[in-house]
Amino acid sequence: MIRFFLNRLISGVVLVFVVATLTFMLMSLSGGNPARNILGEGATEEQVAAKAAELGLNLPIFERYWNWLTSALTGDFGSSWFTNEPVMSSLANKFPVTLSIVIVAILVTALIATVLGVTAAVRRGWIDRFVQVFAVIGFALPNFWVALVLVTIFAVTLRLLPATGFTPFDTDPSKWALGLVLPVAALVTGTIASTAQQVRGATIDILERDFVRTLRSRGISKQSLLFKHVLRNAASPALTVLSLQFVGLLGGAVIIEKVFALPGIGSLAVNATTQGDLPQILGLVVVMVVLVVIVNLLIDLATGWLNPKARVA
Amino acid sequence: MKRKFMAAVALAAGVSLAITGCATGGDSETDAPVTGGTLTLGALVDAASWDPADAEFGNRIQYVQPVYDSLLHIDDELVIGPWLASEFAYNDDSTELSLTLRDDVVFSDGEEFNAEVAKANLEHFKNGTGQNSITLASVDSIDVTGDYSLTLGLAAPDPALLRNLSLVAGMQASPAVLGQESLKTTPVGSGPYVLDADASVTGSQYTYTRNADYWNTEAFPFDEIVIKPLNDLTARLNALKSGEIDAGLADAKSMAEAEASGLTAQTIEGDWQGLFIVDRDGSKVPALADPRVRQAINYAVDGAGILKAVRLGEGTATTQIFSPTSIAADPALDSRYSFDPDKARALLAEAGYADGFEIEMPEFAGFTDITTIAFQQLGDVGITVKPVVVAPDQIISALLSGQFPAFVFSWGSSDSWQDISKIVGPTAPWNMYGNSTPELDALIASAQSEGTQDAFQAVNEYIVDQAWFAPWYVQNNVYVSGDAVEVAMQPQNVVPYIWNYTPAN
Repeated sequence: MIRFFLNRLISGVVLVFVVATLTFMLMSLSGGNPARNILGEGATEEQVAAKAAELGLNLPIFERYWNWLTSALTGDFGSSWFTNEPVMSSLANKFPVTLSIVIVAILVTALIATVLGVTAAVRRGWIDRFVQVFAVIGFALPNFWVALVLVTIFAVTLRLLPATGFTPFDTDPSKWALGLVLPVAALVTGTIASTAQQVRGATIDILERDFVRTLRSRGISKQSLLFKHVLRNAASPALTVLSLQFVGLLGGAVIIEKVFALPGIGSLAVNATTQGDLPQILGLVVVMVVLVVIVNLLIDLATGWLNPKARVA
Repeated sequence: MKRKFMAAVALAAGVSLAITGCATGGDSETDAPVTGGTLTLGALVDAASWDPADAEFGNRIQYVQPVYDSLLHIDDELVIGPWLASEFAYNDDSTELSLTLRDDVVFSDGEEFNAEVAKANLEHFKNGTGQNSITLASVDSIDVTGDYSLTLGLAAPDPALLRNLSLVAGMQASPAVLGQESLKTTPVGSGPYVLDADASVTGSQYTYTRNADYWNTEAFPFDEIVIKPLNDLTARLNALKSGEIDAGLADAKSMAEAEASGLTAQTIEGDWQGLFIVDRDGSKVPALADPRVRQAINYAVDGAGILKAVRLGEGTATTQIFSPTSIAADPALDSRYSFDPDKARALLAEAGYADGFEIEMPEFAGFTDITTIAFQQLGDVGITVKPVVVAPDQIISALLSGQFPAFVFSWGSSDSWQDISKIVGPTAPWNMYGNSTPELDALIASAQSEGTQDAFQAVNEYIVDQAWFAPWYVQNNVYVSGDAVEVAMQPQNVVPYIWNYTPAN
């Protein structure tokens, strides 16, 4: 188990390094002129040159990369070229927003999808058909459209929930929760649909296994059979889907953040990329990859805990 | 309204002192205006640097105006009056500007404002790397002549200087933080409000509370201002409709929806859109050296049609580059080249290009709806446009590098002299090929020294005749507000200045 964990950890670190290097090189070689973008259209060539020197853009690319890497290893990711805010402080501001939405969305998805999927698999009949139809519809509806409909009904017309903005949890937990209702609802229609289908399929698959029939013949109670044996076995594929959903939501939240004007990493990523704000993009990429690595590691550990057969490196 | 100028502005100074209510003792009004409450604005972009040296016009000016006072003041009719400078006057040949400063101004950190501080701020702005440092380029010397008086010496008359001193170039930060890194993230000014860091979240909400020691509290009715960056138009409209913000920028397409929801939509002339024809010496595309070819380009594109179809008629068709509210504007030049493809073909044939020619133009995000039509219409008269796709982060550097002999663009014209300095003059950054003619140089020189409407209009007429550009229309800025506030639109800026808002009665 420790060897498995270490292997994953090392490959994670290598992944972070590779992605950061690739990002640096691609952004640096793409030919933009950040100094000009910062100073705007009115600046003279001399001003642009002075700004470029201030940002270190006149150094050879490998020297710039080395400078960035050595500072990054000490935890200093520099400051945004456009807002002057330290990269780590802007990420510390923005990540809680996106993570709030994504984590709550994943928890809601896990809960509702499990209930729907298991009920459909166990009961079959009309509930099953309902879940199937819901899954197709939920999957087909684009989440930005769902978001707009929800805003129009619940924020603009009924004025029950805020239309835009985010309140940090430590400022006001109830406002934080209210602000999350609509974005999370818009995000989870698609994720619940696909996860419920996975849970349903996996549960039906397990229910038809020989060991379940054997357990049933030994008179084990329905609850015990379902919760101790079936769900435990059906959980692995569902967890894999959820981990993929998590990664997908980190990116997919961009549109939802736009509709609800949430100051998350989505708008940060879009702005930093269109402006060519290299320090900001690099900080963002590194933190995103680290997050993805951690989530995958946790899911691997959980899968291994649930299913000993999966504990191979 | 045409802009008053130079001497007229200096004359107006005394009048506007009374109008703006900046004489501290004058609060004996009979019907007191409504004050108090919170003004909440939705902004198109997030705040950037808080250092006045980096301050910008346009959308971002709303973030800095609450915290920084400027030396002069500009109102919604473009009349320039006193502010931190209680008196200002030019010498006879407009090469020296004398300023007398208020002696009762204190920064929010307790530092005092005086002539030395003003000088330090002007130098900080001029020598900084902010995108508007160019607006003080004409200032050669700054002499402190007393505790509260100073004189700016100019290399040559600068007809845009007073306006600039009333906006970002005149903004004053505390001497204790001037030039320090902290100023980029924490503003310290003498403005009517202070940024409340505890109630602000970067990227989400900026809250300003009253500056308790402000010298002119009466001019700012709200107790609190909140600015929320709401980049997405749908989000801004939803926030307006649900009452989360009081006002925000919209567009022509959302006007009907906003008005149907009971909101007030106001319009004011904004950017002109059309073609910059910059290779006027024909160094890249020889055909462009002939004015007839450039005129043909003007005749070839149906600007009024694009305005009607794409911008839903929200704007005014024009063929001049200067703002309709500026001194150089001349209504007669709005219709110099009406859409006439036959005339375009005839002019091309006359110039020896009956078979047309080829030209490379950039294509980039935000403009594809109008470039597609323009390229097709140019193609119809024989000018084959080869589109080159440019990434969003490379647009400005690609255009300024002179890579393209002509391009479709949107330009926010403001003060005529500023526009001449930016896009017309021989050393203007947007005159990428450095084009000039002796006639134009002479016209610009007399506009600069005389500063009269006739002199500026002569420059305008020459540029339109010579078809240096091919403007199609000035599009309207659409600004939407709820019923809690009244908003005075601001000519020559995309959003109103912070003093243009008042609580509704």
